[in-house]
Amino acid sequence: MAEHTELREVHLDRVPSLGSLYAQALGRMAQTVMAGRPPTTLPAVRYAADGVRADADQLAGYQQLLGEPGTDALPAGYVHVMAFPVAVAVMARVDFPLPLLGMVHLANVVEQRAPIHLGETVDVRAWAENLRPHRVGTQVDLVTEVSRDGEVRWRGVSTYLAKGRKLAGADATQGTEGSEHTERSEVALPPVAGRWKLGADIGRRYAAVSGDRNPIHLSGLSAKLFGFPRAIAHGMYTASRALATVGVARGEAFRWSVEFGKPVLLPGAVTFGLAPAAGGGHRYAGWDAKSGKTYFSGSITPL
Amino acid sequence: MSTTSTTTQSSQAPASPPTQTRRAAVVGANRIPFGKAGGAYSSASNLDMLTAALSGLVARYGLAGERLGEVTAGAVLKHSRDFNLTREAVLGASLSPQTPASDVQRACATSLEATWDIANKIALGQIESGIAGGADSTSDAPIVVTDRLRRTLLKLARAKTLPQRLQLLAGLRPGDLAPVAPDVAEPRTGLSMGEHQALTTREWGIARQAQDDIALASHHHLAAAYERGFFDDLITPYRGLTRDEALRADTSAEKLAKLKPVFGRNGENPSMTAGNSTPLSDGAATVLLASDAWAAERGLPVLAHVVDAEAAAVDFVRGEDGLLMAGAYAVPRLLHRTGLTLDDFAFIEIHEAFASTVLTTTAAWADEDWSQRKLGMPAIGEIDRSRLNVVGSSLAAGHPFAATGARIVGTLAKLLAERKAADGGETPVRGLISVCAAGGQAVAMILEAA
Repeated sequence: MAEHTELREVHLDRVPSLGSLYAQALGRMAQTVMAGRPPTTLPAVRYAADGVRADADQLAGYQQLLGEPGTDALPAGYVHVMAFPVAVAVMARVDFPLPLLGMVHLANVVEQRAPIHLGETVDVRAWAENLRPHRVGTQVDLVTEVSRDGEVRWRGVSTYLAKGRKLAGADATQGTEGSEHTERSEVALPPVAGRWKLGADIGRRYAAVSGDRNPIHLSGLSAKLFGFPRAIAHGMYTASRALATVGVARGEAFRWSVEFGKPVLLPGAVTFGLAPAAGGGHRYAGWDAKSGKTYFSGSITPL
Repeated sequence: MSTTSTTTQSSQAPASPPTQTRRAAVVGANRIPFGKAGGAYSSASNLDMLTAALSGLVARYGLAGERLGEVTAGAVLKHSRDFNLTREAVLGASLSPQTPASDVQRACATSLEATWDIANKIALGQIESGIAGGADSTSDAPIVVTDRLRRTLLKLARAKTLPQRLQLLAGLRPGDLAPVAPDVAEPRTGLSMGEHQALTTREWGIARQAQDDIALASHHHLAAAYERGFFDDLITPYRGLTRDEALRADTSAEKLAKLKPVFGRNGENPSMTAGNSTPLSDGAATVLLASDAWAAERGLPVLAHVVDAEAAAVDFVRGEDGLLMAGAYAVPRLLHRTGLTLDDFAFIEIHEAFASTVLTTTAAWADEDWSQRKLGMPAIGEIDRSRLNVVGSSLAAGHPFAATGARIVGTLAKLLAERKAADGGETPVRGLISVCAAGGQAVAMILEAA
């Protein structure tokens, strides 16, 4: 892709910890907000971490929490957990134009082209692209590629929204693609296939196996600091649980997409629906039984 | 087991592996009355109840001191200390301590699975006699510690120094110390069995009235069977119970109609109530199986033979079928394989997990479009309701998960023997069993009067 050639590669010694990245971001939050200058360009860098491998204990904890089979094949959601901190490191840069903390995860698309196994070393590349206006702010894609022997086996695109940050030069008519809480009333909800009772501790439990200790997931108190009435479930927890429910039917090469709607406040319950997709694979959604509001929806389709 | 040589073998072990099979005989059965959760058996364990049911069977058939070929039983809600539940029950009953035993588990079809296992070993000539059974207690269900506490305790046992131990303990949170009770929800969907069946009930458009009719018939049939002494040689009283604790002989359509729905309340027209759903139960049941020769040597009459069995499972996780609909696959496949039709059965026993399970399963059996689409074969047709659960089933008797299969095998074997004696002819008298189970499974079995 064109952007590759323009990006300067920055090598990291290892995959950074999300905790330290969040701490850095927290330290800078005030100054970014104070500066208040409109976002213009993305840093022209591609972060690289080579020789990355899964940790057996972390993998087991992840598989058990999400309901993934306990084999040595890494679940696609676990590869995200393993590689995504490299992308977060890009977002934590001083020259990244949007504030890392407080951004909303709008959507995520993963292509698993071939499975990765415990014990295999992989190379991670991550960069930001496609800074574009959104109805209520600015959105950006974080791309993460995980390769083995030069062949990309896993590719993830995570779309984030910075609310209230208007892109420099964007006019009001732009950015109508997708609202923050997308209404998908045109697509009928799939039939009910499950009900997830999510305890108050599910954010902490997913944080323990993913390393993602974003304060909005950990406790009511820390979530309130960021404007949420209670702690909210990690979006990737819900999407990964949907992936685990489809299970081995997803095959070895698949595309796994999700769009996030309303956040799941904890403790809470998600009504989960699943149906065969028109062109093969499955589509899924999670919603609130009482209000009918969608928490997330997506599909898992063969590549 | 579907080949049906009538050759009997001597009790002596054959010199080479058997090349012919024979039908295993159901000699008799014994269970304890089933209790309601928190009722008469609230202080009894699975081992206590299995031992009681087994001891009653040993006493009734004079098996004290006998070395049987095998005893196979199980429990669904099982304590880790009960890893050898059945062997412990054998040692507690008066069978020869040289009787081997094994544990099995197939959720609510556990003791039907055990019956199938013992029957196959007999059919192959590997054993001459055996007992199948199961026990379950929801009153004495295992409570475990949280995963975090359990992992910490295991690491603590491996830790070598005091600082290591202190560090491990410091990592515990108050919430980690709370006990964890077993969850009746399916692990992959989070839905309880009742909520799953509520989805299936809606999908098949099953009315409340039809479900209450099934429940009413179950109670009235079971009460009538007790009245005529049908269970006198099938049940041993235990802990003050002589009849099943859930049985309501005086229930009526009006009483059942008054109950509020308990499952599917998020949807339209919820119809599943505590009256047309099985109660959580405690109990145990056993069945004595043998070769004809073994029974004849002891002068024991044979009630019925095990003809064949089939297990099936459905993809409920991805919503392809309802959780408890595997009987809609197991029975047609079994009939197809044995060349039998529904008309060939004098009795049909369908485990009443919920009244609506019986109705959705039989609706699928009769649905031509569904059968062609899902099974690729013609529908097996409508059942004759006068042959269904004629002496009651789980709605009235209760449903201690692992005990239900053995209850049904014993009940059906006796019904078949009664009918055969009444007919007095040579016409085969057959019975069909279908038991659904958690995990989207079911087991079907055919018995034929001896």
